[in-house]
Amino acid sequence: MAPTSHTKPASTALINCKLLLIGNSSVGKSSLLLRFSDEQWLPEDESSATIGVDFRVHKMEVKGKKVKLSIWDTAGQERFRTITSSYYRGAQGIILVYDVSNRESFDALPRWYSELETYVSNSVVKILVGNKVDKEFSRQVSTAEGEAFAKRMSSLFIEASAKTAIGVNEAFQEVVEKILDTPELWEGVKGTRGGQNTGNGRGGVPGGVQVVGLSDQQGQAQEGSCAC
Amino acid sequence: MPTELPYAADAEVSLSYDELDVLRLQHEKELAQAHVTIQTKFNYAWGLVKSPMREHQVEGVRLLQEIYRAEPTRRRECLYYLALGHYKMGNFEEAKRFNALLLEKEPTNLQAQSLGQLIDKGVAREGYIGMALVGGAAALGTILLATLVRRARR
Repeated sequence: MAPTSHTKPASTALINCKLLLIGNSSVGKSSLLLRFSDEQWLPEDESSATIGVDFRVHKMEVKGKKVKLSIWDTAGQERFRTITSSYYRGAQGIILVYDVSNRESFDALPRWYSELETYVSNSVVKILVGNKVDKEFSRQVSTAEGEAFAKRMSSLFIEASAKTAIGVNEAFQEVVEKILDTPELWEGVKGTRGGQNTGNGRGGVPGGVQVVGLSDQQGQAQEGSCAC
Repeated sequence: MPTELPYAADAEVSLSYDELDVLRLQHEKELAQAHVTIQTKFNYAWGLVKSPMREHQVEGVRLLQEIYRAEPTRRRECLYYLALGHYKMGNFEEAKRFNALLLEKEPTNLQAQSLGQLIDKGVAREGYIGMALVGGAAALGTILLATLVRRARR
């Protein structure tokens, strides 16, 4: 059954959910994911910039429902932009990350939002995460400013620290809860397979060319990715 | 619950025909203008390596090797995708070699660690198949021999 807020899926049914992490390089996207999925943290000198895209599966329970998250962790570096844009399609939740101690990463957010306009539908759940609140002493973006911007972009908002784990689980929890409460994201979803309806064939490669008819492909891709 | 299995996202999902075509056309266009940017070349190589078709993978690996030699700042991703490409083609020794080069520079790179585990699994799988083949051949040989011996006795 299509899991919506109206029809409760059987308690054994596993709901598949696709999340995407985006934002400038070095804001801590991979660190947030590592903290969330493995409860680990790597210091800066031991962590390396993501190459292309990384992927993790994580199971969690939200509102009594079992949810299997496939989380796509994209590289923030400019030179992977074409590569990472191919992963937007089918995403139901987007986690936009900036670094509260790096003004530039916050100022870059409008560009990330315009990418979203190109590649995902409006109903996709967005959460803005201000990471690295452990660096309070060198903060460059205030909580109020982050919150106001998130509101303007119709996004959820939270501040977090992958280092201290503050706000990390909450960020993922909130985005998944909102996804479960958004029926549009589950329309046309067959079985328990996670929403492939969101890309609408717009998940092509940038460069002015829009590619259509990708939904079948996406279905296979998701099945493949969930086999592990 | 931690993530259980090693995974290389780019190894599993390939581009659609149209998506790859966009990258190919851009590459061809720049080839015709006699100036191919590294970015265009890399994007196309990446798309090729992700393809399920072997001839694409071979071409992708060839382009990546060229980029590796020409552009030192892009070496880490070239090593990763070279390892990935060879892994997909079943060239586990080559895959290991490139991945080891990346791990040498970045010992804590989780993507490279994960790909390394995938390659090791591939090697093990190949080993089992090899053993099964040898075992199967031995069994077949025994049956043949037994048949021959029986016939000879008659």
